[in-house]
Amino acid sequence: MTQLVQALVLGLLIGGVYALMASGLTLIFGVMNIINVAHGALLILVAFITWKIWSLSGIDPILLSVVMTPLMFGFGWLLYKGVLSRISGSSPGMSVLLTFGIAITIEGVLNVTAGNRFRSATPSYFSQSFRVLGISLPKAQVFGCLAAVLVLGLLFVVLSKTWTGRAIRATAQNASGAALVGIQSAGVAALAFAIGTATTGVGGSILSVLYPFFPASHYDWISRLLGIIVLGGMGSLAGALVGALILGLAETLTATYVSLQWSTLIFYAVIMLVLLFRPQGLFGSRLRQDVMA
Amino acid sequence: MVKHHIRTNLARGGWSATPVRVLATSAALLLAVSACGTAPSEKKAAAGSDEPIVVGISLPLTGDFSQPGGEAQKGYEIWKDQVNANGGLLGRPVELKITDDASNQDTVVTDYTKLITQDKVDLLLGTFSTLLNFPASAVAEKNGMLYVEPAGGAPKMFDRGFTKLFFAQQATASHQPDVFVKYIESLPENERPKTAAYPTQDDPFTTPVIESMQKQLEALGVKTVYTTTYPADATNFQTIASAIADKKPDLIAQGAVFEDGVGLIRSLQQLNYSPKMLFQTSAPSNASQYSEGIGVKNTEGVFYTVSWNEKATTPGNEEFVAEYAKRYDGGIPAEDAADAYAAAQVVQAAAEAVKSLDQDKMAEWLHANEVETILGPLAWDETGAPTSDFLLGQWQNGTPEIVAPEAAATVDSAVAKTPWE
Repeated sequence: MTQLVQALVLGLLIGGVYALMASGLTLIFGVMNIINVAHGALLILVAFITWKIWSLSGIDPILLSVVMTPLMFGFGWLLYKGVLSRISGSSPGMSVLLTFGIAITIEGVLNVTAGNRFRSATPSYFSQSFRVLGISLPKAQVFGCLAAVLVLGLLFVVLSKTWTGRAIRATAQNASGAALVGIQSAGVAALAFAIGTATTGVGGSILSVLYPFFPASHYDWISRLLGIIVLGGMGSLAGALVGALILGLAETLTATYVSLQWSTLIFYAVIMLVLLFRPQGLFGSRLRQDVMA
Repeated sequence: MVKHHIRTNLARGGWSATPVRVLATSAALLLAVSACGTAPSEKKAAAGSDEPIVVGISLPLTGDFSQPGGEAQKGYEIWKDQVNANGGLLGRPVELKITDDASNQDTVVTDYTKLITQDKVDLLLGTFSTLLNFPASAVAEKNGMLYVEPAGGAPKMFDRGFTKLFFAQQATASHQPDVFVKYIESLPENERPKTAAYPTQDDPFTTPVIESMQKQLEALGVKTVYTTTYPADATNFQTIASAIADKKPDLIAQGAVFEDGVGLIRSLQQLNYSPKMLFQTSAPSNASQYSEGIGVKNTEGVFYTVSWNEKATTPGNEEFVAEYAKRYDGGIPAEDAADAYAAAQVVQAAAEAVKSLDQDKMAEWLHANEVETILGPLAWDETGAPTSDFLLGQWQNGTPEIVAPEAAATVDSAVAKTPWE
């Protein structure tokens, strides 16, 4: 019983962090039809900067997300205005090519400037745990998950309660409809891309503490995150949350009761099964063009 | 020029496809193609003995294996510059032609095929990881080229009947743990571990090490209480750690590449379970990256096997370490850089011994002789598998040391593992 609870709790803690990392990716796709393959590279970029500041100053890496988030917001906005806006209206395939190029550029720059070696931030609590009723909760995982829940909550409030959020959701649902009622889609797109990128400010800071990383680590992360949002439904925030929790639980439950070796397979088997019955993913909405195609 | 001219004409639509014109075009194309085909060999035939010896190498400079790939490149380049500074190889300067295979099996095959058939390189050197060396060595063998690899010690490399493949480390993966097992055997009965857990990454270089160790230790009476294999992309080790902590083994022997080694130790720390003995395959050989990852005090007493140590007194090692430090901000070479350097030394020794670049003769000579390298003396059986022992390393006082074999040891004895701090 303890074993089961332990696996469930750990799975949820891991899933929470995955959810935060996937939220920006799904938001950007939802609003702009851009599959941002550079999302993983941005996470690693933030992790590197966080690690550097932590190792020089000793400031807590997860706390540093307070600084990294606005920075990444600005970086995302510039990236959209400078590069991605040029392909607005093109197919998602074009965005994959472009953002893959950005990912490789970031990897290359990190290789040259930060060096091609593993890093990990190790604040004092990284090897400690809370113990509750015989269950151990790794502190870093708990802090990471708390930060993730906070940001996801904030994101939810912004998207559902503010006019800006409504404009973003309206553009996601129907861009031409939104334009008809006076929403400037170019501005909304830049804003959504900036918000999506800003989430990597928190995600990357958490990553720097939880997992060792090096410049090419972003391939592992982007494949995991794409799996999550395909399962949840591309463009759906709730879908990203549920998809991430399923991945987290699949990892811990299979590791506890079968073998960790099977966890990747089981996660992708779940994706396949879901897509057989719901091609749009768990929370994805079917668009008219999907039905016609 | 010819091709360009035709293309612009066609693009303008200025040519209609009359038979004569088609014939003329094909003839021109044929000329252009055949000119390309013959050019390099003509150049080579015309050149004298000052013509550089070109060594073809494909390395994973980007992608998953970019880390060892980049280190290997450094090792190869230091070797080249040292050889050239000493009058070259067989009196000719050495040039490296290094291409990037992006850690991809298909690309590495294309790369070596191109190096051999189009660039017509004089010598080859191997790439990194079993995954890439497995197909690459087949390309070399098929083309009759000597292939000395700095990594790729999985047993499956050597059961293909290849005659020109040589692995430039001390032992294949299944013999890698021998030196650790010998150490356990040398301990008095009551100090040996009684139980052991064997988690390993699903990797062609770690799994055979751990499987072989389990078999050998079971024969010594060490009871196996836990085994598991996890995939290369596993990042969360809490569940494995808690399963291990439940069984309370005296020894944890992990087939760890790097992140997984750090990840498992962190999770064991979070559970506050410290085994009496801890062995990991490659992770602890990553010097400061390892100690930064788990905290330097937690490294005390961790065992590992390794092919090379910066303090080893093997001939040429000191110069290699000094040159590396000079070039890379006082850095200490990674094991991968040293392995690559040693692989190049092997090829150099063979060429100098047979006084030519005859690939058959070089391979024959290597099968029959021992080569002195910075890793120590290397010799091979008829499959190209090496026949020596790895070094047994242990972290002591925040530095990786060598405890066995005696000839290479940098400290007098092994120490006990301390609990996590």
